[in-house]
Amino acid sequence: MVTVQAVSEAKLIISSQSGDRSAFSELVRLHTRGVFNVVYRMCGDALIAEDATQETFIRAWQNLSSYRPQTSLRNWLYRIAFNAGMDMLRKEKRILPTDIEDLQLKDDQPSPESLASQNERTALVQKAILSLPDASRAVLVLKEYEGMSYREIAEALDIPLGTVMSRLNYARKLLKEKLEPKLFVSMEVEHV
Amino acid sequence: MSNHVIEWLNAYFDGELQGYRLHQVEAHLAGCEACRAELESLGKLSGLLHEVPLPDFPSPERFASQINLLLPQKRTPPPRRSLFEVGWWMIPVGIMAVWVFVSTALLLSNVVSVADSFGLLGTTTSSWISSPAETADLTAVLGGFGVLGGDSLQWAERTESLTRSMVPQFVLQVSVAVLYLAWFATWLARHTRQPREGLIEG
Ligand SMILES: [Zn+2]
Repeated sequence: MVTVQAVSEAKLIISSQSGDRSAFSELVRLHTRGVFNVVYRMCGDALIAEDATQETFIRAWQNLSSYRPQTSLRNWLYRIAFNAGMDMLRKEKRILPTDIEDLQLKDDQPSPESLASQNERTALVQKAILSLPDASRAVLVLKEYEGMSYREIAEALDIPLGTVMSRLNYARKLLKEKLEPKLFVSMEVEHV
Repeated sequence: MSNHVIEWLNAYFDGELQGYRLHQVEAHLAGCEACRAELESLGKLSGLLHEVPLPDFPSPERFASQINLLLPQKRTPPPRRSLFEVGWWMIPVGIMAVWVFVSTALLLSNVVSVADSFGLLGTTTSSWISSPAETADLTAVLGGFGVLGGDSLQWAERTESLTRSMVPQFVLQVSVAVLYLAWFATWLARHTRQPREGLIEG
């Protein structure tokens, strides 16, 4: 089942490389969702993510001749997507230098009101993710949200396997520090 | 169990460990409360991360057709490209062909002028021009060469005629080499400077 999909994708790539727009549209259709999700997780803004997704496919179209089939198309697109997303963020400067501490719970004992607010909770998590260094955030996004293996992440970001591990360890360590109270909250919610 | 396995817990959690390392971590976890708690917190963190919802997104079909309209016309159609490629590879072939032609012509005119300086022209020149591959005539000329080589005036004359023909030949060789190297450098630049997306920096 994997091979049928891979073969048809390979055909679409070859057609696209020789300038076939409809073949390329088919590739866009297949990968749009994944690219958008990754960029959104990376920058936390739906509008930027949509622009970056467009930009990703335009860049992919322009550089399709440099694509080598040894890399999976998805990983190649993700690499372009990260760069496009980061470029957009820098241009828009809409990313807040995350004053996460403002949102963080000050007390060890969370108040019932803060427990109730699911929105606040997800906003806090989102901010914590955005506060990570770009390189670590990219690895975390591919692992947590795309479920990619370390080897696939290494390929997508063109970094060594050891670097994938160390960046992921670092990202999770930072997140646990920032979200520690929330982790306790969810634990207590479950135990109550 | 004193040596904790914290550094391997992420890989264990992500199902990336195998063989000895996997057994080592499992054995350690069985007896270490602290590492089990650490592993549990990784699970909780992952759960928390997945609480962040994804926003609405236009349907892939609509998005694909939107992008299709935005694609620049930049990509060259294949037939022109292959024609260009053929033309491109004809450059070194052309250079070599010109070089072979001109140096053959120079060699012939050289031999003719040397023969001329020894007064051997007469019938041979016309026969060379009409059939340059006649090696019998060439040996005859070279033989005459050796016989007449003693005279100093003729030596000087011969040297002069040689330099006269050597200089343009040298210039030709150098310019062919320069042209060829220039082509090769361009080829090398085209192949090493392929567009490639930058990496995520750490
Ligand atoms: Zn331990």
